[in-house]
Amino acid sequence: MAKSRTKGLVVGATMLLTGLIYFLLAARIPGSGGVDASFFPHMLSIGMILLGAIHLFQSWRQPIAAMPQEMSGDIIEQARGAAEDEDAPAGEMAPDYLSVVLSLLLIGFFVLLMRPIGFIFAASIYLFLQIALLSPSGKPIPWLRLALMAVVVSATIFFLFRYGFSLMLPAGPLTPFLS
Amino acid sequence: MVDLFAAGLFAAIQPQMLLLIFLGVVVGIIFGSIPGLTAVMAIALCLPMTYGMSPAAGMSLLVALFVGATSGGLIAAILLKIPGTPSSIATTFDGGPMMEKGEGVKALGAGIVFSFIGTILSIIALVFVAPALARVALSFGPHEYFAIAIFSLTLIATLSSGSMTMGIFSGLVGFAVSTVGIAPVDATRRFTFGMVELNSGFSILAVLVGMFAIAEVIKVAEAGRAGSNIRIMAPVMKGVKGFGFSMKEFFEQLPNGFRSAAIGIVIGILPGIGAGTSNILAYIAARSRSRTPEEFGKGTLEGVVAPEAANNAGIGGAMIPLLTLGIPGDAVTAILLGGLMMHGIQPGPMLFVTQADLVYTIFAALTVSAIVMLIVEFYGLRIFVKLLAIPRHILLPMILVLCAVGAFGLASRIFDIWTVLGFGILGYAFVKAGIPTAPFIIGFILGPMAETNFRRGLQLSQGDYTGFLTNPISGAFLALAALSIIWQIWSGMRKRPARTSS
Repeated sequence: MAKSRTKGLVVGATMLLTGLIYFLLAARIPGSGGVDASFFPHMLSIGMILLGAIHLFQSWRQPIAAMPQEMSGDIIEQARGAAEDEDAPAGEMAPDYLSVVLSLLLIGFFVLLMRPIGFIFAASIYLFLQIALLSPSGKPIPWLRLALMAVVVSATIFFLFRYGFSLMLPAGPLTPFLS
Repeated sequence: MVDLFAAGLFAAIQPQMLLLIFLGVVVGIIFGSIPGLTAVMAIALCLPMTYGMSPAAGMSLLVALFVGATSGGLIAAILLKIPGTPSSIATTFDGGPMMEKGEGVKALGAGIVFSFIGTILSIIALVFVAPALARVALSFGPHEYFAIAIFSLTLIATLSSGSMTMGIFSGLVGFAVSTVGIAPVDATRRFTFGMVELNSGFSILAVLVGMFAIAEVIKVAEAGRAGSNIRIMAPVMKGVKGFGFSMKEFFEQLPNGFRSAAIGIVIGILPGIGAGTSNILAYIAARSRSRTPEEFGKGTLEGVVAPEAANNAGIGGAMIPLLTLGIPGDAVTAILLGGLMMHGIQPGPMLFVTQADLVYTIFAALTVSAIVMLIVEFYGLRIFVKLLAIPRHILLPMILVLCAVGAFGLASRIFDIWTVLGFGILGYAFVKAGIPTAPFIIGFILGPMAETNFRRGLQLSQGDYTGFLTNPISGAFLALAALSIIWQIWSGMRKRPARTSS
C-alpha cells in the first residue's frame, strides 16, 4: 500500500507540474485580456493544477485505504479490472523496463534511419532486432528465419504501398532503381 | 429515404466495394479476436490504404473493419476466456464456462447470430434516427454546439474507467494538446515553438495511433521475454448443424436479444460510453430478468446473447452522433471521424443535405458488413482459431511498422512518425499512472469545437455569457453536464463511508 501511496503522490505532483508548465506557456500567448486565444489555455491549466492538487491531497490523506480504485465498487470496474489483469500476459511479473527502453531506442533509430537508408532496410533491421528482443527466453531464436521474415515483410509493405496505394515511402539507396 | 438507401445498397454491392467490405470484415475480426489488438488499430492501419480511394469506398472499408472488430472479440472471449476487446468482457462470464462444458460451438454460434441481429437493429435505428436528428441539428448555432461539446466532455470524463479526477484531467490534457497550432477565430499562433510543422496542430490520426497502437506495443515490450503461453482449446465442430443451437433456443433468446440490442443502441448514442459498458449492462439486465439467474456465470446461453447483441448494437448507436453532429463517442468513432476528415468530409447535419448519397452508402455498407460478418465468422472460425496462436512479439512490431507507414502517409513527413512515437510514450505514461486514455481523445477532438463555438457564441451575443444559459438547448445540455458531475461526486462520497465501515 505504501507503494501505491508513493505512486499517487508522484502522479499527483506530475499532474500539478503539467498544469503549471502549461500555465506558464499560456502566459506567453499575446492576448487582449478578454476572451482571446489565451483564454482557454489559462482555464485548462487552472483546471489541471486544481485536479493535480486534489489528487495529491487524496493520495497523501489515504495512506492505507485502497486509493487508486476510488470507484472500483461497481461491477463494471471490477469486470474491467479483471479483463485488464487477464490481458497482462505474464500475470504478476515485474515489468521489464530495460526492454521498454531498448524498444523505444530501436523505434527511434528506425524512424531516424528511414530517410537515409530507406524504408526497406530500416524496417528490416528494426523488425529483426525488435522481434529478437521480445522473443520468449528459454527457446532458441531462429535467426535465419527471423532475418528472412523481417526482409520479406518490409519489402512487401514497401512495394504494396508504393504500387498498390501510391504512397511513396523513402526508398533511400534504392531510389535510382525504382520507377 | 428508401430510394436513397436502395441507391446506397446498389453502390455497396458492386464487386470492388464487396471485396473491400469482405477484406475489412476479415481484418476486423482478426484484430477483434486477438487480445491486445483493437478496432482502433485495425482502422488506423487500414487508413493509409484509403487515401487513394473514393470517400464511399474508403468509408465502406472502415465501417466493415468496425463491424468485424466489434464482433471478433467474442472468439477470444469464448475460446480463451480473455475478451479480445473491452466490448466482449461480459461474454467471457458465460462463454468460457460454456466452452468448458463442451458447448463452445453453441456459444460461438449464438454469439455470432446475435451480434448480427444487434448490428442490424442498430442500423435500423441509425437510418431512422440520424436523418431526423440531422434536421433538428441544422438549426443549431455556436451556443448549442458549445454546450453539446461540454456535455460530451463531462460525460466521458466522469463515466470512463478510473477515478473522476483522472478522467477529467485526461480530458483537459487532450483539450490542451488540441490548442497547439493556429488558434480559431483570431488565428494567433499557440505553443508552436517556432516549428512550422506545428502550425496546423497535431493530426487526430497521429494522436490516436500513438495513444492506442504504439502504447500497446510498448506494453508488450514491458512483459519482456517472459512470453505468453496461452493454451487454445479448439471447439468440437463434429456433428454440429447450422449455428449449433435449435430454433426453439433461438426464439427463446429473442426477447433477451432485443432488450440487449436496445441497451446497446442507447448507450452507443451517448458520447463517452460505448460497447465497453453496454455489454456489461446488458448482461446485468439479462440476469435480473432471467427465470434462471442462478445459471449465470455457469455457462448459460442468455449470458452470451446479451453482451454480444449489445456490443454490436453500439455500432449503429455510435454512428448517430458521429454523422449528425460530428461528435465521436469513443476512440473507434474518433478514428472514423479522422477517416472522414481525411477525405475532406466534415460530419454534421449538413452532410445529410450535401452528401446524402455518401451517408446512405455508409448505411448500406454497414448492412452488407453485418451479413458478411455473419457468414465469414461462422465458416472461417477454424482459421480465426489458428490466428489466435500467432505470438504477439511477432505481430506487434509489424503493427508498429505499419503505424509508421500510416503516419508518414498523412503528409509524407518523417515529423509525423515522431509525433506518433511521442504520443505513444504519453499513452504508455497514462496507462502507468492509471489515467484513462479515452477522455484524452475526446478532449482533443471536442476541445476545438468547444473553443471555436464558445468564442463565436460570445461574439454573437456581444460578449454576454448568459446567452449560453438562456438558449434552451444549450442551457439544457449545460445543466445536464453539471448534473453528471454532481451525481458522480455524490455517488463517490456515498461509497466512501460504506467502504470505511466495511
